[in-house]
Amino acid sequence: MEKSRSELGQIIIGVARDPLGLMGLIIVGVIVFCAIFAYWIVPYDPIAMDIKSRLQGPSTAHLLGTDQLGRDTFSRVIAGGQVALKVALPAVFGAMAIGLTLGMIAGYGPKWLDNLLMLFFDTIRSFPTVMFALAVVALIGPSLQTVVFVVMATSIPTYGRVARTQTLTLRNSEFILAERSMGASMARILGVHMLPNIIGVLAVLAAMDIPTVIALEAGLSFLGLGVKPPTPSWGALLKDGYSLIRQTPWLVVGGGLPIILATLGFTFLGESLRDVVDPKLRKQR
Amino acid sequence: MTDTLLEIDRLSVDYETGRGDLKALRDITFNVNKGEIVGIVGESGCGKSTLISSILRLTAPNTRFREGEVRFKGKDLLQASERQMRNLRGADISIVFQDPMQTHNPVLTIGQQMLDIQHRSKQSKADKLAHAAKMLGAVGIPDPEARLKQYPHEFSGGMRQRIAIAMALMSEPDLLIADEPTTALDATLEVQIIERLQELQREFHCAILFISHHLGVIAELCDRVVVMYAGAVVESGEVREIFHNPKHPYTRRLIECDPGHIKERARILPTIPGEVPDLANLPGGCIFRDRCDQAMARCASDVPPLDQLKEGHHAACWLNHEEATS
Repeated sequence: MEKSRSELGQIIIGVARDPLGLMGLIIVGVIVFCAIFAYWIVPYDPIAMDIKSRLQGPSTAHLLGTDQLGRDTFSRVIAGGQVALKVALPAVFGAMAIGLTLGMIAGYGPKWLDNLLMLFFDTIRSFPTVMFALAVVALIGPSLQTVVFVVMATSIPTYGRVARTQTLTLRNSEFILAERSMGASMARILGVHMLPNIIGVLAVLAAMDIPTVIALEAGLSFLGLGVKPPTPSWGALLKDGYSLIRQTPWLVVGGGLPIILATLGFTFLGESLRDVVDPKLRKQR
Repeated sequence: MTDTLLEIDRLSVDYETGRGDLKALRDITFNVNKGEIVGIVGESGCGKSTLISSILRLTAPNTRFREGEVRFKGKDLLQASERQMRNLRGADISIVFQDPMQTHNPVLTIGQQMLDIQHRSKQSKADKLAHAAKMLGAVGIPDPEARLKQYPHEFSGGMRQRIAIAMALMSEPDLLIADEPTTALDATLEVQIIERLQELQREFHCAILFISHHLGVIAELCDRVVVMYAGAVVESGEVREIFHNPKHPYTRRLIECDPGHIKERARILPTIPGEVPDLANLPGGCIFRDRCDQAMARCASDVPPLDQLKEGHHAACWLNHEEATS
């Protein structure tokens, strides 16, 4: 256990040495911190309306002004970050867990199962995400859970395919043959020997996927298919600001800037993580 | 006491390919007795690896067992269920592979891997780790407790091969298959590994099936030797007998070609001219005929049987018949 902790420490140090990685680490750190402590950070209740002070510009009372219902934009941005992570993290990790399991089974199992799972992946992938989201929302109505479900379902094939390819390359390697000749069962080979070899690559993929998911959630909310109002979301903020851009630009800034920052931050972090974790690059260090 | 441990009886194995069936093994028959070291020699492509994977039943999906039996302690392994085979592998039969750089999981420590191998044992984790350290000590890895925490890439090739041997011997198997364990190592390490294997064999009393194309190593280590050519046994017998009195031209040429055997400095090392016949399209008669300098008319028409020439010495060559008749 101590070994893995020091290894995690090494990875973080490795990322922090890279300037872009450090930037990503800081941005992601700030976003995660704000999301966790949102309740204490927000100066106002993000859904409390105050019609008298609507559409105000930035002031000491309202750092980023207020929207058309007099809600404090800064509070909504912070709370929106919490919603974004609430969608992104479960969706990405759920998709990763399911995709990893199915992909490893496809890569290691019999050929017919592989074909069946690949057909399943390809079927999902052939749906345009937004159209799929529209259909699901029409069926069960817009909510946080719906967004998580849609995002998860559409990104399972990506993880599944990568896990399958990795498993296929590993399954014929000599150390797996050695394990089999030592009497290891399929579950043991997949769980104990394959998983640690694959998980690094998938973790990097997940880090790179988080910004996509955040943008997707914002996009769905922008179209009114995401989280239900009055729940604050960056996409919803952008949508409100879009129609009021002539009166006040602050809503668009409040909704757009965090999306840009989060996307950049997670992308930097993911790329830097890839360089540090990738076994092929690691050997050269 | 000659208790038979492994009996390979008229084993024939084909690979189904697009060009037709590749007859990888034909009519292989030999025994390994308890506590005995048997060597298998032959050039690349003679079926050594197919033989090992057939014993362990870890064959490629296009493998077809056409005929024969592989009996281990009297039980036919080719009829055993997958579950029975799995319980046998790593417990009663274990194997050391050729390339020590490839046989360990690169992302797990040696300790984790040695713990994992003992998954059948009900011992506590601490006991298992102690056993792992003891085994590493037995194969001559200094400071085994500390070494258990290291990853495979932190060891040299020779050390990794010794770790592989330690892992293979962990469950005290009755049969250890060594698939060219020294081919990927340099000469000094080769000697060390061979000596270590001899010591361990005396300690654990396991039988060893030692596959190699290095005749010197076979002569040093083995009690008996089986010479294979193009998927068939051409000669088998006591090591001393085979090396001093080879009865098959292929064995004779192999010994002549061994660099350790050459006394004078030569510009060109001796070789056996010609190529191994196409296993998908075998010629009739003796398989070695095209490369044999003593081939006769009979060699082209009839396949020579593997005859017993002396107690325990078998060879498949018509020349021995000529001697017998004349």
